[in-house]
Amino acid sequence: MSIRDGGFIDELRSTENSRIGLYALLLAGIAFYLFPVETAVMTMFKTESAFARTLPFAPPGTDGFTLDALTTAWNTLRPGLVNSLLMAIPATIVSALLGSMTAYGLTTISWRGQVGVVVLIIAGIFIPYQAVLVPLAQFWFQVLPGLLNGFVNTVFGFITGGNWQYPSRNGYVQLLQLSITHAAYGIPICTLLFRSYYQSISDEMIEAARLDGASAFSIYRNIILPLSLPMFAVTLIYQFTQVYNDLLFALVLVNEPASQVATQRLAALTGGVVQSFNTTMAGAIVAALPTLLVYIMFGEQFAKGVAGE
Amino acid sequence: MAQLTLDEVTKTFQDDDGEIIAVDEVSVDIEDGEFLCVVGPSGCGKSTTLRMIAGLEDITRGEIRLDGQIINDQPPARRNVAMVFQSYALYPHMTVRENMAFGLEESTDMPDDEINERVEKACKDMGIFELIDRKPGELSGGQQQRVALGRAIVRDPEVFLMDEPLANLDAKLKAEMRTELQELQQDLDVTTVYVTHDQTEAMTMSDRIAILNDGVLQQCATPLECYHEPNNLFVAGFIGEPSMNFFPTTLEGSTLKGEWFEYELSDETVAAVEGTSDITLGIRPEDIEFVQSDVGPNVFDSTVHVVEPRGNENTAHLQFDESMDEQFIATVGGMKQLKAGQHVKVRFPENAIHLFDTSSGSAIRNRTLDEIETVESVV
Amino acid sequence: MREILSRLLATGGRLRSAVSRDESDGDQLATDGGATVKTTRGDSLRNSLPVEWELIESAPFWLPPVLLAGFFVYGAIAWNFLLSLTEYNGLGGAQYESFDLSMYSRMLSDGAFWQAAQNTVVLLVVFTVLCLALGLFVAILIDQQIRFENTFRTIYLLPMSLSFVVTATMWAWVYNARNGVLNQFFRVFNLEGAIVGLLRPAGVNAEVIQWLSWNTTALAAVIFALIWQFSGYAMVVFLAGLRAIPTEHYEAARVDGASTVRMYARVIIPQLRASAVSASVVLMVFALKAFDFIYALRGSQPGANMDILATMMYRVAFDSLQWAYGSAVAIVLFALALLVIGPYLYSEYRRGEL
Repeated sequence: MSIRDGGFIDELRSTENSRIGLYALLLAGIAFYLFPVETAVMTMFKTESAFARTLPFAPPGTDGFTLDALTTAWNTLRPGLVNSLLMAIPATIVSALLGSMTAYGLTTISWRGQVGVVVLIIAGIFIPYQAVLVPLAQFWFQVLPGLLNGFVNTVFGFITGGNWQYPSRNGYVQLLQLSITHAAYGIPICTLLFRSYYQSISDEMIEAARLDGASAFSIYRNIILPLSLPMFAVTLIYQFTQVYNDLLFALVLVNEPASQVATQRLAALTGGVVQSFNTTMAGAIVAALPTLLVYIMFGEQFAKGVAGE
Repeated sequence: MAQLTLDEVTKTFQDDDGEIIAVDEVSVDIEDGEFLCVVGPSGCGKSTTLRMIAGLEDITRGEIRLDGQIINDQPPARRNVAMVFQSYALYPHMTVRENMAFGLEESTDMPDDEINERVEKACKDMGIFELIDRKPGELSGGQQQRVALGRAIVRDPEVFLMDEPLANLDAKLKAEMRTELQELQQDLDVTTVYVTHDQTEAMTMSDRIAILNDGVLQQCATPLECYHEPNNLFVAGFIGEPSMNFFPTTLEGSTLKGEWFEYELSDETVAAVEGTSDITLGIRPEDIEFVQSDVGPNVFDSTVHVVEPRGNENTAHLQFDESMDEQFIATVGGMKQLKAGQHVKVRFPENAIHLFDTSSGSAIRNRTLDEIETVESVV
Repeated sequence: MREILSRLLATGGRLRSAVSRDESDGDQLATDGGATVKTTRGDSLRNSLPVEWELIESAPFWLPPVLLAGFFVYGAIAWNFLLSLTEYNGLGGAQYESFDLSMYSRMLSDGAFWQAAQNTVVLLVVFTVLCLALGLFVAILIDQQIRFENTFRTIYLLPMSLSFVVTATMWAWVYNARNGVLNQFFRVFNLEGAIVGLLRPAGVNAEVIQWLSWNTTALAAVIFALIWQFSGYAMVVFLAGLRAIPTEHYEAARVDGASTVRMYARVIIPQLRASAVSASVVLMVFALKAFDFIYALRGSQPGANMDILATMMYRVAFDSLQWAYGSAVAIVLFALALLVIGPYLYSEYRRGEL
């Protein structure tokens, strides 16, 4: 029986080469995945003339350096950042909590037929949001105001005199509506993340608690919830990123200019006629700052959320 | 010829605390066609040694030679060894046929129909021919094990390497496979290195046993040599189930003074242990005799604490003093009954005791083998 | 003492079988001796319910969120479907009196719809396949026990953490015709002229590559940027899949004589089938809803070259206020998504993976 022949020296050499080649590829990967960000960061500090003169990748020289673009972008986007955070943080927390509870009721406590509910929820992760946009706009701008107007003016007519109107045009109300919307749409993915986590919690521990007489609520509060902290970290980080980064819902639900979120403002900035790349790049970086910082600090949690999906 | 030689083979790892020596200058000469078992407790370095032979670990110092050629730097693919892993490592997406053909396809230029022929023959030999187009997920543990074996056999290698292949089987299957493996190896006559922590497997299957502890080779000899003539305390205690009883004693004149008894030595023995004063006396459970009266030297009073009936034999845990926990073990034939609480007299015959140097652990004098008889065959 | 113990055992046994995961109605734990166990009021209530006790006690936990999400998801989709059957457009309320399929027939004869549909399918297929390929390649590289593995992984995944508006802003500059990053890069190496000649559509004269305008490059440019952003996800999925393969498979293949390439091709990659399937479902669904990026890049009228169903739907519904028509387009999108996730969810359910 013959064994395929090959020089043993060649084998040795190719091992060395292959390591070098491997790292070369990996470094190329870094260049590939970072170049848009790197060029953006370089450009946002450049003056107009420096921008015209230098290569995109190159940093601004000492004479080409300016904070103007950054200042403009910051001033334009800061209100948006605030609105985004105002909207995203509550939505994320609510989603995560509701997701944890849902997963608990569908996983740790087991009952016949629950898989059906699970399937419905998981399918909810995958729906294209276009399929709910028009109803959403209808609901928040027409149906709900109509209902509430009718209700309030009838029941509390003696206070309002029949004149109360649901403040649809109020920027904060719109942000609240957006927040609630995100909270609702975040439930499926948060449930999925917690469900796979709860599936790995030992049944016997729960059964022991049962034998000790614990109620479902008590088990949740005293056992599951404390154990869930790592998963809360993952879910909060991941979901915050998703909610903050969203554009579509914000476009549909927030039309008061003062309440627009960061993504909307940036889209407006980029879509503007005058293309001053210094400013738009600065805008991109400013708008990205919260999620970028979150990612740099909690990248591992984010990756776990990504993998969980 | 597939003679495998390990020459002062050493493996060290770097750790935060310094250097860890996993395998310490192990030297063994394995003959062509020999079945060598490498045994030892967990962490003794036996798997590491096996993996160095396979080429899955680098050798820090020393040489491994196959038929006189140094193979230290050869990649696994080129060493012409076949390995059976503890978890079988069957490729789940391939059928049994494809699993077994894989090695031949990758390491030889054999034409497909020849490969197929070989695979089918090996399957028939292993008794798994009906399973040849199934995937590993559809097979039981025992069947998977046979496929793993078949995969190694089909390659007709120079050396078989086996890493605790029977560890995942239940007791009955294990016993069956032990015999089968032994027969297989004898039929194929391929040099085999077999790693296990189970000393029963080592005793029953191998031509020779290499015993490792903490990376150091303790003894490399035939099973019976290891059993009756252990090199040191470790080997004596490791081989044999239930294990040998050890009693620390001090030599005074011609008496070994232990905590519970005094043991009279004959002049011959005294001469053999000349110069050592701290001696550990060892005696195997089956060599302890139960006697009725103080006839002869070295008869001691003891109490039966617990009896473990095994059917073929009874294992008695005995105590010299009821108030202390120290026990020693004696076994008797299954037809002899003992009860807990009984007071008995036991005798340690001098020709059955092993004497070890307590500080170094090495054997000073092992039992005599005069009592060995051969069963005469009938024409 | 024995009586207490046996009563405890009996209660525990019933509780245990109640909470056990066996669907089959349990083996009751055998009680010791002839001890009688008094049924408490709670037990008789529990046993006389038409549904399992667990369903009721768990309901406060899952029912409200499920109702909420259910309304926002399934309620909204059902409503959407209803709307698509009306003639609702402009301001004012919808009329739900007469339902017809006029929106759908209008859709079928709308050239823009077919163009958008074609672009959507192209995007879906090309994006998914290439993203999987790149993700797999990068995952294999990272799995090679490299130093600084965490750093590489973090950097490769970074684009995923950015909003599509942010990345669209960056890529708008990368793809800019006059002084975009790509074109400047080619300019430096004097390659620009050659590439212009290669890529420009017939009958167009230009000196710079207009990535986002030419029909030869527009959709490809978008797909490329999306792959850039999303391949980190594929990498994460494949990396997990690779790590789930026991080391011994790699070792056995090596001992069997396989070279590295053969080992990956014949042993490792076939075992990543499950990862590939689940990743492609997510990727395909994402491609269907990839609105944010294109909108931020070119607005709601990105031109026929990169118009996809998602952007068309937004434009039709929110720019032109043709709500019913927009709903119809959205239903098509939903149906496409269902085609992708339906079989996947069903097979996962059958295999008990859910």
